[in-house]
Amino acid sequence: MKEYVPIYVGTVTRYVFVDSPDITPQTLATRAYEVSEGVMIKETCFGLQVTGMPEEVDRLIEHIRLMDPNHIFVKDRGFPPGDPRRCRANLGGARPGYYGHEFEMGLIRFVSHGLDAIELMDEQDYPEVKHTRTAGPGLDARTLKRLIDAEEK
Amino acid sequence: MTQKVRVAQLSCGPEHSGVQGEIYEAAEAVNAEMFFPDLTLADIRRYYDEFGLEARSPDLKLAIARAKALVEGRVDADAVFIATCFRCAEAAIVRNELRRYIHEHSDLPVVSYSFTERTTAGTLLTRMEALTTIARRRALLAREVQEGLTLGVDSGSSTTKAVVMRDNEIIGTGWVPTVRVNESADEAVALALKEAGVTIDEIEAIGTTGYGRFLVGDHLAANLVQEELTVNSKGAVYLADRQHGPATVIDIGGMDNKAISVQDGIPGTFTMGGICAGASGRFLEMTAKRLGIDITELGPIAMKGISKKVPMNSYCIVFGTQSLVNALAAGSTPEDVAAAACHSVAEQVFEQQLQEVDIKEPVIMVGGTSLIEGLVHEMGQLLQTDILVPPHSQFIGAVGCALLASGFRGGRSDESV
Amino acid sequence: MVKVFIYPSTSLILSDMVDRWGHEPLGAALQIRERIQTPGFDSPPLQMTPDDPKRGLRYAAVEVPSGVRGRMALMGPLIEESEAAIVINDADFSFGCMGCARTNELVKLLIRHRDIPILELTYPRSEEEGVAFVGAIKQFLTGLSEGAA
Repeated sequence: MKEYVPIYVGTVTRYVFVDSPDITPQTLATRAYEVSEGVMIKETCFGLQVTGMPEEVDRLIEHIRLMDPNHIFVKDRGFPPGDPRRCRANLGGARPGYYGHEFEMGLIRFVSHGLDAIELMDEQDYPEVKHTRTAGPGLDARTLKRLIDAEEK
Repeated sequence: MTQKVRVAQLSCGPEHSGVQGEIYEAAEAVNAEMFFPDLTLADIRRYYDEFGLEARSPDLKLAIARAKALVEGRVDADAVFIATCFRCAEAAIVRNELRRYIHEHSDLPVVSYSFTERTTAGTLLTRMEALTTIARRRALLAREVQEGLTLGVDSGSSTTKAVVMRDNEIIGTGWVPTVRVNESADEAVALALKEAGVTIDEIEAIGTTGYGRFLVGDHLAANLVQEELTVNSKGAVYLADRQHGPATVIDIGGMDNKAISVQDGIPGTFTMGGICAGASGRFLEMTAKRLGIDITELGPIAMKGISKKVPMNSYCIVFGTQSLVNALAAGSTPEDVAAAACHSVAEQVFEQQLQEVDIKEPVIMVGGTSLIEGLVHEMGQLLQTDILVPPHSQFIGAVGCALLASGFRGGRSDESV
Repeated sequence: MVKVFIYPSTSLILSDMVDRWGHEPLGAALQIRERIQTPGFDSPPLQMTPDDPKRGLRYAAVEVPSGVRGRMALMGPLIEESEAAIVINDADFSFGCMGCARTNELVKLLIRHRDIPILELTYPRSEEEGVAFVGAIKQFLTGLSEGAA
């Protein structure tokens, strides 16, 4: 059995995704480099990966989020950037998590729109969300009662 | 160093079971590399929808899409390895359907395996070796005629077999119980050489197979060291004279069982395993011992009995033996007990393994157990077909090795042409 | 700050939302990071070993496939640690840690059986749904802060 010696112990890595009409991954990277102060930055097709001690990464993220808060999204990553175990070049194909990101990035414009919209709304005006356990259409108690009442009339 | 064989992995669960590293290790040991066919999310959705099997698990959807991409030539691979968790019903359906689909719609060799967290690289090695051999050594496996004077040695878990062949004829055989691997091989080889009337120095090429193949291969300075899946397939169709077209090879061994779906002498899909010795030749040995007869007598006795008369469940060799003792104590005849033991082994191989390969006729049974005619009869009943047992079927691995080794005479190789 | 379990546990959107409104998202990355940063024997790619499915026995019986138990070794501790949860119910294309439907069913059950605030919804498929989706999450998360205060 081969020994495993971890690298970057104590650090955190976060993905920074950008889906903005105004900011490209390159401009995001440029800004990130300006305030990096030792945080490792890796540019990717969707944005950045940043690696460093937790508080340094938090500070950097807080800073770059301000560029376009409703179009920049951040998520934790377990691996440091470029890890050969997760690298597409070594696996021959994308790691499983990539497809999950691809799926959510396909919907992210609706989330951005939501973020923009609720900034201008009072909480009581938020539209009702579908509170559902399953994806399919269901019959809630209120609707059922209405149907029964209608039937009785 | 030869180029690595690229094995596409279609799987659900090995990473989270902690066995992906074992898969990598087995692949590396046979100079292969695992890879995951690259697709976009749109591809995954399209291929998954087109395939038509509704899976709930996303990783199985991904496996389905990747299989389709391989068959359609969107992604290049030399072989396919399908792996899902043992005991997962959803994955078992997907695994079997993908294996069948790839086998029927492409030339890619494919092996499927259901793992647990205890699966090791060692368990996977023979399968991975066979998979890469089929991908890498098609030229070697194309050989249909034995030439010159060659020796094949099959170092099995129970017995060691040796065969000397000259110009497409078997001229000497040796068969001894495996005690110490190299010494037993020497004994078997000496017997075969004696019968053939030749000396080891005259032998032009040597091939080894079976559990002890590496050790014996080193010991005899063999030209070819090859796992038993490909060697047995080759040997079976050669001895049965069914070198062209489809065939199914069944080998119930002392320690594990093999079922191989063969096309033109080359294995397409195969399973290898046996959960318990209750489904192996070892159980029949124990039955013979309990009946106070030699293993060679078991078959003929079983043919005189009726298996249905004795309730037997030899899923486990211990409980199987217990049923056997109980039946005898309750007055069952040795004939019926022998028949029931044969039926039980045949049934378990049928249930555990033959479901995973497509049975195409002719069905060829090989290995020592193929000489137990009661077992062959029961298997034929289960499969509803006449089973072919070729001459010298107990020497199948050694014959396959002697045949393939003839491509290495005089320092040349079938693969260099 | 409240620890919020997110489902799918690999969700970019949920991870971001929870963090954005001042809470701590509990997702699979935390568990993977812990393994990747711990020395031991090499077990690529996730540094998950056969010990993980054994740890998973706390959540699922031995007859349950190893992949389920291994994934539960990641999810179980997060569920136990969680003080609230957001669940997206139509996460049909989350792979890897969320790649097994059986595990996902068990994860949701364990979350629902905990006595914690849970928000369950579906992915937004239009701008209108986006507003409702974000609104509900914001309301839920800010409500947690008030509850905690």
